[in-house]
Amino acid sequence: MKRDLISIEDLNEKQLRDYIEFGRKIDGMSHEACRQILAGRILGVLFYEPSTRTRLSFEAAMLRMGGQIIGFSEALNTSVAKGESLADTIRTVERYCDAIVIRHPREGAARLAAEISRVPVINAGDGANQHPTQTLLDLYTLQNLFGRVDGLRVALVGDLKYSRTVHSLFHALARFKDVRFRFVSPETLRMPEYVIEATEGSAAEIAETTNFEEAIADSDVIYMTRIQRERFPDPLEYEKVKDAYRLDRSALKHAPSHLKVLHPLPRVNEIATDVDSTQHAAYFPQAGYGMVMRQGILAHLLGGKL
Amino acid sequence: MSPEQIMLIPKIENGFVLDHIPTGSGVKVLNLIRGHAELNESVISVGLHYTSRRLGRKDLIKIQSRELPQRFLQHLSLVVPGVTIKRVENYAVAQKIVLEPPELVDNLLSCPNPGCITNHERGVTTCFHLVRREPMKFRCNHCERRFALSELENRLKL
Repeated sequence: MKRDLISIEDLNEKQLRDYIEFGRKIDGMSHEACRQILAGRILGVLFYEPSTRTRLSFEAAMLRMGGQIIGFSEALNTSVAKGESLADTIRTVERYCDAIVIRHPREGAARLAAEISRVPVINAGDGANQHPTQTLLDLYTLQNLFGRVDGLRVALVGDLKYSRTVHSLFHALARFKDVRFRFVSPETLRMPEYVIEATEGSAAEIAETTNFEEAIADSDVIYMTRIQRERFPDPLEYEKVKDAYRLDRSALKHAPSHLKVLHPLPRVNEIATDVDSTQHAAYFPQAGYGMVMRQGILAHLLGGKL
Repeated sequence: MSPEQIMLIPKIENGFVLDHIPTGSGVKVLNLIRGHAELNESVISVGLHYTSRRLGRKDLIKIQSRELPQRFLQHLSLVVPGVTIKRVENYAVAQKIVLEPPELVDNLLSCPNPGCITNHERGVTTCFHLVRREPMKFRCNHCERRFALSELENRLKL
């Protein structure tokens, strides 16, 4: 049966751990061995929306495993601009390639593509809904930085209301053992009840706070997100909170030495550049792990030998 | 028969009684019946604000029809979950069931999320899963948003 990767909600704890393991296997292989895994295979990369890291890391991942890529990075110069439906595009492209990676502004687009396609479909972001490969690379990053995911104390910081990245990461981490969460956000951007409700049955320990300092002193991981000005109906409200959730070198003065700072990127000013050279900064390595994780994902879904 | 016992809505010889409709929802059910062409020729009697031991007040609708289409029943279960359906034969109740919403709602609704792909593609089949019973919540299989029943009752695909 064809395998797809559409939503973190489809994966249980074992499957999440398996994906981390696929990444580790890739990481342990020689470049030469790696180039054989998907030799002769073609990946269709359909990006209806702009992206830097996700698209480039998927393409690099495929090329490093000996495969090739076709696709587009914006829909403007394609049949989509002539009004072609997503379903028709998928029915066409599936004949040209062995798997499809899709980013689309509409929620549920990847699921629909997977229903239609006879080749595996990977969701690289469907509107405000899911971005499962980001979550898997976040888990893989934690595994690499700490040697484990279980038992970590994770502070999710910033815009917890609208960030699909933190919602998915929270749901995934809640399936691991003894992960303790701290939700750090302005009152207006708190983690929505429906996101917490969806982890019903998990024993995750959650503390909510507006106090960033305390979270820095008492966490293993600070996962930063961007607070977007346009989320605030009142610009004054934005001015009040924007600096409270900005991380700079001085804010890390009381951080435990092993604390790592992650960010899905792109960052704007929520992490000052003076943090980059500290031992805590892990967001660029995180972007690197993204490529390895995506190699693991592609190899698994395309049935490559690991 | 004393005047208090006289039914304000006639007994039917054959057909169905939709009973225990929460008061105020009778009109919604009537609209639903109108949306199903198979029932357009049936004789319908409507009773609103009846006294009910269970509900205090209730609405009640009688449909003189040989059968109720499957799709109508599925829609009905979403508009008035827990409604009682009595099949009447020769003026007597032959069968009685309580209608609960299905675990899987297959192409009966359009998604209330305007950003959901199912609202932008032609000929897409929608699917919702019951993910919570109290309060009742359904999840769109595509955009993964969760909706209360009240958000879905205006989204019936008739």
